[in-house]
Amino acid sequence: MAHVIRSICIVGGGTAGWLTAGIIAARHRSEDGQGIRIKLIESDTIGTIGVGEGTWPTMRTTLKKMGVSETDFFRECNTSFKQGAKFARWVTGDPSDFYYHPLVLPEGFPSLDLASAWMEYAEKRQDAPSFSNAVSYQEAVCELGLAPKLITSPEYAGIANYAYHLDAGRFVSFIRDHCVNRLGVHHVVDDVTRVVRSETGDIAYLETSKSGQLDGDLFIDCSGFRSLLLGETMGVPFVDCSDVLFIDRALAVQVPYDAADSDIVPHTVSTAQKHGWIWDIGLQSRRGVGYVFSSSHTTVDAALGELQAYIGEKHRSLQPREIKIHAGHRQTFWKGNCVAVGLAGGFLEPLEASALVLIELSAEMIGAMMPATRETMDIIAKRFNQTTQYRWDRIIDFLKLHYILSKREDSRFWIDNRDPASIPDSLKDQIELWRYRAPGDQDFTSNAEMFPAASYQYVLFGMGFRMDTSDLEPASHAGAIEQAFARNESLKIKWTKALPNNRNLINKIKEFGLQKI
Amino acid sequence: MHLVELSRAEHSELKINPDLAEASAAKQHLIPIVVSEFRKAATQYPIVFAKNPETGRFAPYVLNGLEPEENLFWSGTKMDVAYVPLNVRRRPFFVGMADTSSGANDNVLCIDIESSCIAASGQKSIVDPDGSDSPYLKEILSIVRTLVQGQEQTNTFISTALSLDLLCPIVLDIVLEDGKPLHVEGLYSIDEDRFRALDKDKVERLWNEGLLDLIYSVIVSTGQIFNLIRLRNERESLNLAWRDNEN
Repeated sequence: MAHVIRSICIVGGGTAGWLTAGIIAARHRSEDGQGIRIKLIESDTIGTIGVGEGTWPTMRTTLKKMGVSETDFFRECNTSFKQGAKFARWVTGDPSDFYYHPLVLPEGFPSLDLASAWMEYAEKRQDAPSFSNAVSYQEAVCELGLAPKLITSPEYAGIANYAYHLDAGRFVSFIRDHCVNRLGVHHVVDDVTRVVRSETGDIAYLETSKSGQLDGDLFIDCSGFRSLLLGETMGVPFVDCSDVLFIDRALAVQVPYDAADSDIVPHTVSTAQKHGWIWDIGLQSRRGVGYVFSSSHTTVDAALGELQAYIGEKHRSLQPREIKIHAGHRQTFWKGNCVAVGLAGGFLEPLEASALVLIELSAEMIGAMMPATRETMDIIAKRFNQTTQYRWDRIIDFLKLHYILSKREDSRFWIDNRDPASIPDSLKDQIELWRYRAPGDQDFTSNAEMFPAASYQYVLFGMGFRMDTSDLEPASHAGAIEQAFARNESLKIKWTKALPNNRNLINKIKEFGLQKI
Repeated sequence: MHLVELSRAEHSELKINPDLAEASAAKQHLIPIVVSEFRKAATQYPIVFAKNPETGRFAPYVLNGLEPEENLFWSGTKMDVAYVPLNVRRRPFFVGMADTSSGANDNVLCIDIESSCIAASGQKSIVDPDGSDSPYLKEILSIVRTLVQGQEQTNTFISTALSLDLLCPIVLDIVLEDGKPLHVEGLYSIDEDRFRALDKDKVERLWNEGLLDLIYSVIVSTGQIFNLIRLRNERESLNLAWRDNEN
């Protein structure tokens, strides 16, 4: 008789555990007892890492599908808007050196190739606008500190594309309450004392301190770096990626605002340092700031000095928290009846905020592909592993791209990052192609893509990558391209006038709420 | 606009021309109303819902035109319509919130002392020669009272409609007789499909709370959109005739 999949047991109550529970429960109608039963066991003795404060725009769909109100999310999670990232000092290291990776796609993308047209223009003119400014209005919106929508915009709808900055600790409690009260997720607070496997190698049940045995047809490992189920129990080895991505340490700190009504920067600011980079994320009540660096290139004390210099006088009252990072991921992500989501599956570094989105995508995929029986699970596991491996590879390529385009010479960290031996072949191949044409959808043909070709364009041309336009065929639709550039200019004028100050809008959302329609 | 709290002593000499109140709505395509006006308003205008641009909250309005700043009922001298909303008729008076020492918010009557309704030729005063409130002021006070009381019921209606998912965005795509396309966004109405799909308990609750009549008023009023299109077409052909004369 077929072993039907009826219940899921999630181990770990951090962001990964609760988001996964919520995404699957919403999809499988767990709340009315009709669908798959989900229980989540979390320890009250093991803390969560809880640094991840930047999301992707995907979080809007994720929360909406879970039935969360965006107004509540702003009220409960110290949430603010994120309209992409501003990268400072990544190219030359000069104080004036910056570029944007906005979330609004280039005007007319992907049917129009503004990148090649911009490159041709920029080669002739010293006063050419930056790539992101020429093709998108969002940099102008960010530089003025404006929000991406209006108080009359419905929940989750934006004028400009946006994601969020959030307080990870509050976010976990918020999602937990929603999962337990609204989505029918069964919450067990206990410690797992032993993981017991059956003769087939599957996980049979968990032994706990107080709650006896917990069983499940599918076990989801959200236990964090420890990887209790997939790593420790199922013995799936860890694949180290530190030969490509050198960041292995973070110093994180919470920085108060000067005043309660200080402006909230509506994008992530990433400022390159001598041996890594500093993230700066504006929440409602404070900033989250942290220096990620390579401990084989500098010492913690030296890094602390750089972080303090960045923060300024305020650093004296602050106590940075040190976090160790092992860049890498598990060799496979689903083995037997166990799949890992979140840090238990791997982590690289916070650049481009790929951690939360990978949780969303993985949980979404598990929910969508949910095998009907244990017998069909191995087929699903194979597909899940292929897709997830592809995603990790693309993230690694994209993160590495930021480092190899830098022209900084001020430390071994930057010079070593450009060593060809540290660059994946897949990335080298792409770069070769892009010397003669702009990144396009033809480069990213999987339905499991992480970053759109537009993101590669923003980083490449933001960082001064030169494309040889001499042999480009003349554009067959020059008129349409001219119009797209003009349209972007008029959108820039329109939205820099109409969009409200970022903090003002957040205050209004908290006071009046956003409408659902 | 300059609002000050009305003082019977200080403002006793003011002369007001109430006929000019309607002129202030000459360029308003949306005028807010309260639920107690729905029945009368529905005979003249489409009743729609729109978001307050400052708070994003829904309120009911009568629709006067097919684009911003268009009031098709404005004839050049008055609102040529059988029912003029209270929010026009109260002008140049407004309801303000007084900051009281106790912290409680009290409504106070304010006047816009820069309003064009205040004119030496005006026929109305706020106080009679004996110092008592004039019939004009009494009428204004009654209008304002209706608006203030109506606000609470209106809020109840809106929150009930929202909780039952009864509001939906409407987009007007209109082609005028001369071929000009008009596209109106940002308006909301009652979602009739969802309204008709409500279960008996919910309909009964609407009935008990006196909200069912209001929903039907809104639904019936939507047909008034054809009147707006007719007025707009008339205006366009009039404009055309003017231009032809000039040539």
